[in-house]
Amino acid sequence: MNAELNTDGIERVNREFPYLNEGDVISVQRGPEPGGVGGVARTFGATLKGLRTTFARIVEGPVTIQYPEEKTPVFPRFRGRHKLHRFDHDGSGTGGLEKCVGCSLCAAACPSDCIRVVAAENDPANRVSAGERFAEVYEINLSRCIFCGYCEVACPFDAITMGHDYEMADYNRSDLIFTKEMLLAEPVERTPLRREGE
Amino acid sequence: MSQPIRNAVTLVVDGREVVAPEGTMVVDAAKMGDIEIPVFCYEPKLGDPVGACRMCLVEIEGIPKLQTACSTPVRDGMVVYTQTDQVKQAQNAVVEFLLVNHPLDCPVCDKGGECPLQDIAMGWGPGKSRMTDPKRHFQKPLELSPLVAIDRERCILCYRCVRFSQEVAEDEQLQLHERGDRSFVGTFDDRPYIAPFHGNIIELCPVGALTTYTYRFRARPWDIEQAGSVCTLCPSQCNVAFTVRDERVMRVLARDNHAVDDGWLCDKGRFGFQMFASEERITEPMMRGGGGELSPVSWEQAIEAAAAGLRRAGASAAALAGGGTGNEEGYLAQRIMREALGSPNIDCSPNSPDPALLAELARPELGAKVADLDYAGAILVLGTDPLHEMPILDLRIRKAARRGGARLLVATERPNALDGGAVVDPVRFAPGESAAFISALAGALGAPGYEDGGSYAKQAAEIAAALSSVPDPVIVWGERLWRDQGAARALHDLARALEMHQRIGTGLLEVPEGANTRGLREAGMLPAGGPGLGPVAAGRDAAAIRDGLAGGEVGALLLLGADPVREYPGGGAWKQALSSSFVVSFALTEDESTAHANVVFPAESHAEKEGTVTHPDGRIQRVRPNVPHPRDVRPTWWALTEISRALGNPLTFGTAEDVFAALCAEVPFYGETAYEEIGGQGLRWQERDPGESWVPGRGGGGPGAAAYGADSAATRPPSESGSGPAYAPTAATPGPRSESEEARGSGLALGSYRDLWASEVTRRNPSLRFLMPTQRLELAAKDAKELGLEDGDPVTVSAGGVSVEARVSVKERMRPGAAFLIEGTESDNGNVLATGSPQRISVEKRAEPESNGSGNGNGRVKIVETPMPAEGAV
Ligand code: SF4
Ligand code: SF4
Ligand code: SF4
Ligand code: SF4
Ligand code: FES
Repeated sequence: MNAELNTDGIERVNREFPYLNEGDVISVQRGPEPGGVGGVARTFGATLKGLRTTFARIVEGPVTIQYPEEKTPVFPRFRGRHKLHRFDHDGSGTGGLEKCVGCSLCAAACPSDCIRVVAAENDPANRVSAGERFAEVYEINLSRCIFCGYCEVACPFDAITMGHDYEMADYNRSDLIFTKEMLLAEPVERTPLRREGE
Repeated sequence: MSQPIRNAVTLVVDGREVVAPEGTMVVDAAKMGDIEIPVFCYEPKLGDPVGACRMCLVEIEGIPKLQTACSTPVRDGMVVYTQTDQVKQAQNAVVEFLLVNHPLDCPVCDKGGECPLQDIAMGWGPGKSRMTDPKRHFQKPLELSPLVAIDRERCILCYRCVRFSQEVAEDEQLQLHERGDRSFVGTFDDRPYIAPFHGNIIELCPVGALTTYTYRFRARPWDIEQAGSVCTLCPSQCNVAFTVRDERVMRVLARDNHAVDDGWLCDKGRFGFQMFASEERITEPMMRGGGGELSPVSWEQAIEAAAAGLRRAGASAAALAGGGTGNEEGYLAQRIMREALGSPNIDCSPNSPDPALLAELARPELGAKVADLDYAGAILVLGTDPLHEMPILDLRIRKAARRGGARLLVATERPNALDGGAVVDPVRFAPGESAAFISALAGALGAPGYEDGGSYAKQAAEIAAALSSVPDPVIVWGERLWRDQGAARALHDLARALEMHQRIGTGLLEVPEGANTRGLREAGMLPAGGPGLGPVAAGRDAAAIRDGLAGGEVGALLLLGADPVREYPGGGAWKQALSSSFVVSFALTEDESTAHANVVFPAESHAEKEGTVTHPDGRIQRVRPNVPHPRDVRPTWWALTEISRALGNPLTFGTAEDVFAALCAEVPFYGETAYEEIGGQGLRWQERDPGESWVPGRGGGGPGAAAYGADSAATRPPSESGSGPAYAPTAATPGPRSESEEARGSGLALGSYRDLWASEVTRRNPSLRFLMPTQRLELAAKDAKELGLEDGDPVTVSAGGVSVEARVSVKERMRPGAAFLIEGTESDNGNVLATGSPQRISVEKRAEPESNGSGNGNGRVKIVETPMPAEGAV
């Protein structure tokens, strides 16, 4: 900078030519001047070019899904709202018992810390789960869940799996804390599954 | 045996040079070099290593076979490898072998997440098993005790629990039964394992074989927070860690502090947490209305009412503190009394120590610390049963006798849990005759002014010989000795005769009755001692407060955690005294004294309180808030400052620490201690500068100033004491004995003792309730025979027109002519008969009560209409 200090200490800039060498000056390339016949032609050309995609899609017909009357089918491994499971009635004596033993491993794995398990001891005469312990309280706070599926991976008994339901909007945050009963209940299957090859 | 001097040796572990003291095991030495060797069975707290699990194998240069690092002491120039292929192979093999029969039911196992077997299998195991055969199966879980479940499948046979039972608690109940893969831990004949320290095995077990019903399945390590505090249920003041989940205490673990508890807890401290969140807790202030019922009121109303009642009494008010009351609270209570009301009637125990002598005994050079026991040459247990009064001390004394080689001596009135280990026949003096025995002992030790003679001469000589044969004896004595005129004085003089004040590692250790009696005394909760034990104008002690209340000379009583009706001698008289007076009580739950209180404030538990307590050996320890106050409980120190304010004496304290700072300013030997300095392990004031140069508090300079303490400076050898003790030793005037000798023909001399479980804590914790004792009359076999009584017979015990019902318990090693009742039982409390001094009783056999009939005396104490004849009823 060409600057010099006056005797009064105020900096003054040499405004005549503030650049030192010619290399500092860059000349800018400009497009053709707008207007005129050429200008009109260029405008229409570009618009049509853009509309080509639009017209091409029009012939394919509409793809809008009329949600909520109509739903997007999901992949089989889509991670939606969790489900807790019971043993099947396969004659092994455990039929109907909860698979979850309340081990809290899912809670340990959960990155958003939204599972709360409080275990208790089974009463042999009135079993809840097949093991020594069962989950007395099992809650998932779905407003915090990021649907990562770690809980499903952590569970040693396949007691919890990710379901397909993704419609979980609610008016109240506390209604998004799903209890064991809600997670065990067979959900109204509202989400269509994507068919093979779809 | 004094503390051995250990040289440093140098060894090389995995190429790292490590310097460790001689005698250290390779495992510990490696740890000093930051190298971890996995262990299962090694636990130094349990004594010598056993080498049972083989997990710790390492290679040592020069030894062809692998060695167990836990039981190989270091040698100079030793070269150890922990990472070689051979070692890895051995580790893999041991883990695989342990898992051969291990059920691997981690998801349901309580230990999951904090399990050494999980950690070691992950860190040092082969990762997979070649095992395809079925594993062994046991029925699971079994009840090992009403509190502990055992899962035999999970046991890895490390022997830790068995060693605890055999060598630490010495209850010898746990055994390893059978051999090979059928081995299991159990008790003889499958009896429940009931012992006062058995909860420790849960913490010791390295797998989930031993779990407690109070914590089973309650939480996982990632659900909880761990926070430290100090247990204030007894004077041991063990360091504890609370496991907190959802703002509730779920379990209590030991927080190893070698200077206090050596890493053990008693079952009272371990399971006594259920009361914290109990429905039965008082959680808001209450006032007694016109109908005689306590009903909740606001804090403002309660403080106003309490202040009004105290103001009315003015200088005739009184205060009693006990239980887990902290130093800050005691300090504030005595300021309310002395400053706001001008009343000197303050006490913190049913025994009234002579303040000058108390200050003398508090001298740093006369006091022993808990850790001194470890290397004491001899330990005399005098007039106390540590098992009942300070449980952890019982374990420490056993350890000293077993591992430190201390010669154990016992001299008590009642059969003692430590009798079995005594090297000299335990001395049994008659109830109330401790002074005669101690004087004889002082005489035998050549304390000036004491005669070497009397009826205890022979036993005293034996004990004296054992005490003086070692350089560092420790005498553990019970606060109760203050009840017998002259006993504490003689004790002090004999300690000086033993030159305890001139040696280290030796001294006296008082076992107080209250959890924080020492702290309360030092904070000024004494009738004739202000903060720092300084002399003040003397007021009434506990017994005089009771009589004053009954007679109307004492107008109001402030109770801080104390329950005199239940815990003090003369319980019946206390009941009457309280029922006719204005009583303000700070209590955790409704007890026998709040039943007569006009205003009841909720007290804080040791999981909620911010404050300090002082261990019997002078260690100031911090009690810390771990969980929030339940409902409307507020800090007691705050409530006391508010009461003081309402009485026109505003105290400007913003925090508990401010109160402590004010306390320290008045207690010269505490110096300028701050909470931060006390830290997690506590701070013994004797070991700091102001404590070492012992100066008692200034006090108010009233009558009863410490005349004795003034002229017996620490430097003065006992032989120079010239005119001898200030007053005649009791050896010459064994008053009580002649009475009880006479009593032997006509009636038994009654003593009473505190049972570990006869307390409100037992009642308020559902898991402990089964331990609540019912009243029993302990008799010597000879006396029982003379009375025609057998073990278990129901009897009525009467004295002074009052009687309680009990069952006979014939005890060995009882002194004939003595009988004992338990203090503080739920019904038939021995304190109804006890007066603090021995008395004669008559015993009458009762008809066997019909089952659940009305005549079983359950929960009642009968006042007999016609006075019982003093003799003849036998
Ligand atoms: S899906 Fe992920 S975030 Fe949601 S509960 Fe399971 S572990 Fe937690
Ligand atoms: S869902 Fe599975 S991982 Fe979670 S507590 Fe139950 S058994 Fe354990
Ligand atoms: S029960 Fe536990 S502590 Fe006892 S031997 Fe078995 S594994 Fe060891
Ligand atoms: S010994 Fe005393 S301080 Fe220690 S845990 Fe037991 S009750 Fe608490
Ligand atoms: S730890 Fe060394 S053998 Fe068990």
